[in-house]
Amino acid sequence: MTTLANLQTLFQRHLLEGDAALAPYLARGGAFLPVYRNAYGARLREIMAGEFPGVAALLGPDRFEATVDVYLADHPSTHRNARWLGRHFTDWLGATDIGRRHPVLVDMAAYEWALSFAFDAADADALPPEVFATVPPDAWPGLTFAFHPSLRLLTLGHDLVDFRKAAAEERDPDNAPTALEKTSGWAVWRDAESLTVQHRPLADDEADGLSALTDGGDFSNLCDRIADHLDASLVAARAAELLGHWVGAGWIVDLGGFTLDAHAD
Amino acid sequence: MTASAKREAGDPASPFGNAQTPFAGFGLGLRVPHYADILDARTGPHPDVDWFEIISENFFEAGGLPRRNLMRVRERYPVAMHGVSLSIGSSDPLDMDYLHRLKTLADLLNPPVLSDHLCWTGAHGLNMHDLLPVPLTEESLKHVAGRVRQVQDILGRRIALENPSSYVAFDCDEMSEWDYLSELTRQADCDLLLDVNNVYVSSVNHDFDAVAYLDGLPADRIKQIHLAGHENNGDHIVDTHDAPVTGVVWTLYGKAVERFGTVPTMIERDGKIPAFDILVAELQTARRLQRGVLHAAPKERAA
Ligand SMILES: [Fe+2]
Repeated sequence: MTTLANLQTLFQRHLLEGDAALAPYLARGGAFLPVYRNAYGARLREIMAGEFPGVAALLGPDRFEATVDVYLADHPSTHRNARWLGRHFTDWLGATDIGRRHPVLVDMAAYEWALSFAFDAADADALPPEVFATVPPDAWPGLTFAFHPSLRLLTLGHDLVDFRKAAAEERDPDNAPTALEKTSGWAVWRDAESLTVQHRPLADDEADGLSALTDGGDFSNLCDRIADHLDASLVAARAAELLGHWVGAGWIVDLGGFTLDAHAD
Repeated sequence: MTASAKREAGDPASPFGNAQTPFAGFGLGLRVPHYADILDARTGPHPDVDWFEIISENFFEAGGLPRRNLMRVRERYPVAMHGVSLSIGSSDPLDMDYLHRLKTLADLLNPPVLSDHLCWTGAHGLNMHDLLPVPLTEESLKHVAGRVRQVQDILGRRIALENPSSYVAFDCDEMSEWDYLSELTRQADCDLLLDVNNVYVSSVNHDFDAVAYLDGLPADRIKQIHLAGHENNGDHIVDTHDAPVTGVVWTLYGKAVERFGTVPTMIERDGKIPAFDILVAELQTARRLQRGVLHAAPKERAA
C-alpha cells in the first residue's frame, strides 16, 4: 500500500472506531486530532437530527444520539452527498429491539424519509387529462402508468402528522402520536405548483390499487384490486374516479403498454 | 506550459474553451434562510452583492424547490460552484457518478469558478463528510495533480482548489502547503481558491507564518477568496464558519489584497446564519478594506 493509502486507512479507522494507530504518523503527536473525531460524530448526528426530527422528539435527545451512533456504525456513509445518510434508517430501526417494541418509531422514520425524499426528487411533468381520451378502448386493460418521482407510498399504523410538524418546527407537540385502529396507506408527494411536500391517507382500495400499479401492474390489475373491496358493478366507476384523483394531483407522468399507432388514423 | 504563462478560461490557448460568466467584486454563500431577501420580486439584484456561491452537492438532486430557487438566483447573479466531496486527495478511484452530476450542474450554471478543496473525504468507498488533510509529499502531489487533470478533462473546465483548515500534519510531510499548492497549479494547470481564514487557522495550528504562506502562492492562479469566522480554543483554532470574520483575518486579508489585487471575495457562513443584511454589511467591510489597500499601495502589489 502507498503511504497515502496507508495513512488514509488509519485516519478513517480513527474517525470510525477511535483506532490509535494513526498518532505515530502525525507531527507533534497529533495533539489536535480529536478535533476531527469530534467533528465527525457531531456532523453526522446533526444531519440525522435534521432528517428525522420526529424520531428525535420521540426518543429524546440522548437516546436519539445513542441510537444514531449505533446506526452509523452499522451503516457508515457511502455516498458523496450527506443527504442520503439516513436511507437505511427505517429498515435498520425496524430490526432493532427498540423499533420492535415501539413501532411508532419505525412509522415516523418511514414518514420522515418520504418527506425528505419528496422535497428534491427529480422534476417530471404531469400528464394532462386529455391524454386519456387518446387511449384506444382495447388498450385499457394493458395500460401501465409511470408515477412522479417524488411519490412515495407508505403503510402507517399511527397518526404522525401533527407531532412531526411540531417536532420539525421545534415546538412542543400537543399530543403523542396516536395508534390508528388499523394501518392505513398514505401517499407523500411534491405538489408541482407550490413545490411543497404533501401527504394524505389513502382509502384501502386506493392503496391496494396504487401499489399494484407502482409494482408495474396494469389497469386490469388495478380493477382486480378494487374488486377485492367493492361490488363488481362499481369497479369501473371507482377506477375512473381514482385515476381522476391521481391525474389531478399530478401523480401520473406517463402511460405505457400501448402504442399510438393503433389509433393513429 | 510554464507557471508564469497566464491563460484565462475562454482564451483560445486554453483547453477549456467555455465562455465564462464575468466574475468580479464581492459575493456571499447562498444559504436557505436568505432566499426570501435575495429573491424579493420588488427589488432587483442587491446593489452590494455581486454574485453568489453555492455548495454544489446541495443541488445534485434534480428537482423541487432547491432547483427552482437556484435558477431564479442564477437569472439575477453569476453563481460560483463550491464542492465539498470531490475528494481529490483520496486513494480511492475518482467517483464518475459524482463527476457526471457535477458536470451537469456546471453546464447548467456556467460558474465563473468551480472549486473544491485540497483534501480527501473518505477511502474504501466510505465518506466521512469532512475535509481531511493530505500528506504534503511528492507521492501525494503526483497523485492529486493527475486526478485534477482528469477531473478538468471530464468537466471541460479548469477547477480551483481551496486550502483547507487543518488540525494535524504528517511526519512524512516534505514541503509546505504553499509550495505544494504552487507546484500543483503547475503540474495540473489548475487554479486556487484562497481561504484567508483557513490560512490563519492552519498557521496557528501548525505554527507557520501566514504572510509567508501568501507570499509563496502564485498570484496569477488565485481566482477567488473566502473569508470566514473561527473559534479560538487557546492552543488551537477550529474553522467553524459560524462567526464574523475576526480582526486578525481582516488584517491578513489586507495583505492578500496587497499581494493579489482585486480577487473576487466572499464571506462564508455555514452556521448561526445571521440576517441577510448583517452579512451584506460584513461584506461591505471587505469592499472598503480592499479599496483602502489598493488606494494606499497601488504599485506595490504583485499582479
Ligand atoms: Fe472556505
